Amino acid sequence: MKATIFELKRFADHDGDGIRTTVFFKGCPLRCVWCHNPEGLTALPQIAFYEHKCIGCGKCQKEDFNPDACLGEARVLYGKEMTVEELLPLLLEDREFYETSGGGVTLSGGECLVQSEFCAELLKRLKENGIQTAVDTCGFVPREALDKVIPFTDVFLYDIKAYDEDVHIRCTERSNKIILENLKYLDEQGKTVEIRIPYVPDYNDREIEKIAHFLKDFTHISRIRVLPYHNYAGSKYRALGMKHSLPERLPTDEELKSAKEILRCITKISCP
Amino acid sequence: MKYISDRDYDYIINKHHDASKPWNGMGRFVRRDEIFDPATGLDADALREGFLAQDESIKDLPHPIRKARALEFIMKNTRISCDPRDRYPSVNANDRPLKKTIIDNWKREVLKETIPEIGKKRSYLENAGIVTIWPDYDHSVPVWERVFALGFAGLLRESEEARAKGTWDEKQEAFFEGIRITYEAILTLVGRLATLAEKTEGSERMAKALRQLQIGAPTNFYEALMMDYLYFLISEHIDYLQVRSLGNFDRLFYLYYKADIENGVSEEEIRTDLAYFFLQFVAISNYWNQPVYLGGEKADSSTEINELSYLFLDVYDQMSIYTPKIQLKLADSTPKDIVYKMLDMIRRGNNSLVFVCDKTIREALVRNGATEEEARTCVVKGCYEHGTIGSYSAGMNYLNLLKPLEYTLHEGRDAVTGEPAGLPCPPPSAFDTFDKFLAEYERQLANVIDLTVEVVNGFEGYLAEMNPLSMLSATFPTCLAQGKDAIAGGALHNGSELMFGGLADVADSFTMIQKHVYEQKTLTLSEFVAILDRNFEGEGDEIFRQALLRDREKYGNNQKRPNEFAKHLISIFERNLCGRPNNEKRGGTWSFGTHVARQSYVWGDKSLASPNGRKLGEEVSKNASPMLGQAKSGATAAILSVTELDASVSPSDFALDLGLLPSAVRGEEGLDAMYGLVKTFQKRGGHALQINVFDADTLRDAQKNPEKYADLQIRVSGWNVLWNNISKEEQDGFIRQAEALC
Repeated sequence: MKATIFELKRFADHDGDGIRTTVFFKGCPLRCVWCHNPEGLTALPQIAFYEHKCIGCGKCQKEDFNPDACLGEARVLYGKEMTVEELLPLLLEDREFYETSGGGVTLSGGECLVQSEFCAELLKRLKENGIQTAVDTCGFVPREALDKVIPFTDVFLYDIKAYDEDVHIRCTERSNKIILENLKYLDEQGKTVEIRIPYVPDYNDREIEKIAHFLKDFTHISRIRVLPYHNYAGSKYRALGMKHSLPERLPTDEELKSAKEILRCITKISCP
Repeated sequence: MKYISDRDYDYIINKHHDASKPWNGMGRFVRRDEIFDPATGLDADALREGFLAQDESIKDLPHPIRKARALEFIMKNTRISCDPRDRYPSVNANDRPLKKTIIDNWKREVLKETIPEIGKKRSYLENAGIVTIWPDYDHSVPVWERVFALGFAGLLRESEEARAKGTWDEKQEAFFEGIRITYEAILTLVGRLATLAEKTEGSERMAKALRQLQIGAPTNFYEALMMDYLYFLISEHIDYLQVRSLGNFDRLFYLYYKADIENGVSEEEIRTDLAYFFLQFVAISNYWNQPVYLGGEKADSSTEINELSYLFLDVYDQMSIYTPKIQLKLADSTPKDIVYKMLDMIRRGNNSLVFVCDKTIREALVRNGATEEEARTCVVKGCYEHGTIGSYSAGMNYLNLLKPLEYTLHEGRDAVTGEPAGLPCPPPSAFDTFDKFLAEYERQLANVIDLTVEVVNGFEGYLAEMNPLSMLSATFPTCLAQGKDAIAGGALHNGSELMFGGLADVADSFTMIQKHVYEQKTLTLSEFVAILDRNFEGEGDEIFRQALLRDREKYGNNQKRPNEFAKHLISIFERNLCGRPNNEKRGGTWSFGTHVARQSYVWGDKSLASPNGRKLGEEVSKNASPMLGQAKSGATAAILSVTELDASVSPSDFALDLGLLPSAVRGEEGLDAMYGLVKTFQKRGGHALQINVFDADTLRDAQKNPEKYADLQIRVSGWNVLWNNISKEEQDGFIRQAEALC
């Protein structure tokens, strides 16, 4: 069994607790207007070209060109097929850091649960090795996908982008019904969930209060994180030859503070 | 909280020199006499003429006495100041009057006249960029326990008692006489300062403390600070001996702190005294900064961290200063919250904080002859060096690992100067296996080590001739017991240290040679050498260089081969140097480490391009750190690589400089992650960890020189990208973010 991975990130410290290694799975069912990982959207491998890094080595002119050979690291292959056996040693390399910091491994993407069978096998092997595991998901996945990974996942990092369905469709091109239901299901199963709300002015900034009311009756939410939208992904879109309509306006500190305050007051859940 | 008013701050910062004037070439303030009241003594020129004229008349006396007489002249006659805007006095001796006169002359005499052959070899090694060797007056720490318990007067009394008890030869008599004159002169100076303070309205408290230190030991927190400061000022600037630590501050000062609090002194007062104390070092502004350390472990394995440790960091943090620089002796028992406090300071841009791992340095000292107790109480000094209390280790000897590589590849010649600097050896084509090449490198390196030992052993027997250390020796009980100078073998341990630079460069170069020449056979060793000789500037060379730079099989990425080569280099020193005797008069042994300070830049200009892709003129890799820009697998892999080295093999430096971006360490998770890095480094037997959270200036440099920052990553929740992969505008965004954080 293989999965398409577009990146392995070590010393990831904002994808769950402690020092983590994050595995980015390629392919995502949502199309968020603000997506900052465009290389994770499509399931198939893509080669990006960072023009300003090209040193003219000419390797890409050869027929059997492999982007790994590009000397300027201008051409980057996003999407490599990897087996659990290949991934495991790479993920265990930093296990001492996980232990000293309370960290572990996070599966992310794209949407990792699109490749749920692989995720389940990988998570199982990680648990066998005593590694703390997290799954970062948009929630737009079949119930069976969740069921496969639930036994081997310590914490879910779960995105809520909007409560109102129309707003959600406007932001992501998809309904959020499955997402909200899946979250309830996880809660019923007693799984620890950290909610992550990307805060994108003019898109979902009016959703905060509604989301808060939705979340207030859940019992296994450990914390809610508000992730401020940033527009640093433009270069990646260009390098991938993809169009983007990234929002221009960035959230202000006041907006973020007020969003957190609302979430805290209504849900009584920690919102750092 | 502001401890020092603007009025006082302005006075203090200008009291030694005009702080608005540019620095001199050594990065120091230019002397300015007129700041000191002429009524208090001679100006610096008259002072110099005075002690030199006096020295002319006593030329037949032993050096310890001649130096002591010069010190006496300075301490009796130099200009001084006390001011109600300050809590500490000042002495006009910032330009170290003895350095460019008597002591440099003695050094010249020894190296040019007494041992000219050794002197010539030393100059050659230095000029060719092979080994830089200086007499080491830069790494001593007095026995602070005795300084505080006895005061200057008590140290003098003990020396005189030891002198009276024994039968001494002429040289030993001169040693004691040097101490007597020096300490009497110190008491004279302290008395002059006390008198001036008594006459200065608003300086009554300072006067009282100075009077106490004229007759005895400090009795409260403020007097202890005054003692620390005076000892530093006199040793560093008058005696010309750097004080490379103000001591184990929290341990040494706790008794005074506790007693003061019990006697009703407010914490506010203590904090304010400390703030004025810190500011003295900012005002003096020696570019090498003033070290002081916290923490360590008590005999019962509990921590030395106490409430004073926190107070100390608090005041320091609130002042936003960069000197003194602070080391934390990090033990298993060190409370987590003080590590967090320091990490939080570091991520806000304070680069003056270093973690030194207690277990590693203790192991290293025990492996090299110290007792468990000596190792437990060892001092941390300088950047991150360490040694047992009352020991003198000389270590201004820096070896460039790239030079033996040049000799190996050029038939024993220096490829930049063409000189036959190494041992004659066959041309590259003769190394038909990698092992033959490696064996030749070892032979060339062993030869450079031998040369270094010959030169250093040759002159270290004359260190006390060049600069006798009466002031320091009086604090070392072993010196008084033997009637012997600390620098001439009188200390508890009397080691010599060789530091080397280029560890990562050479480990990576070996990897590239083995891979390209002997495995993939894409080019011959001779062809590789030709490319290095033309500095990667021939046709197609740059493409090849990029391939070398791009290869992640480099030290710092936790790759087996370069890690093994780095370990192998260490083992060469272990076999060829560790435990070798140094000069017989000093009676110690040799050890080694990887600390090179600024030499990495000086050597860069003198070292041919290297097989890892480094060009002539680019800096040589420093400390135990990966080559700049080559730790592309991030902080964790860099730590795994560096801690593969056995840092306890030698009681010296294996420091890692780790760069992190503000965005990677923001928030509570950022602190948890930093803590995880530090603790893993410690657990895996690392020695010293210097974390730099890149500030906006660094990022601007990264924008201008992307090739130096190929491994720099930026992080935003769940998303990461290489610095060089983002556009200028986006980089600007991060620079602004870094600006906001500072």
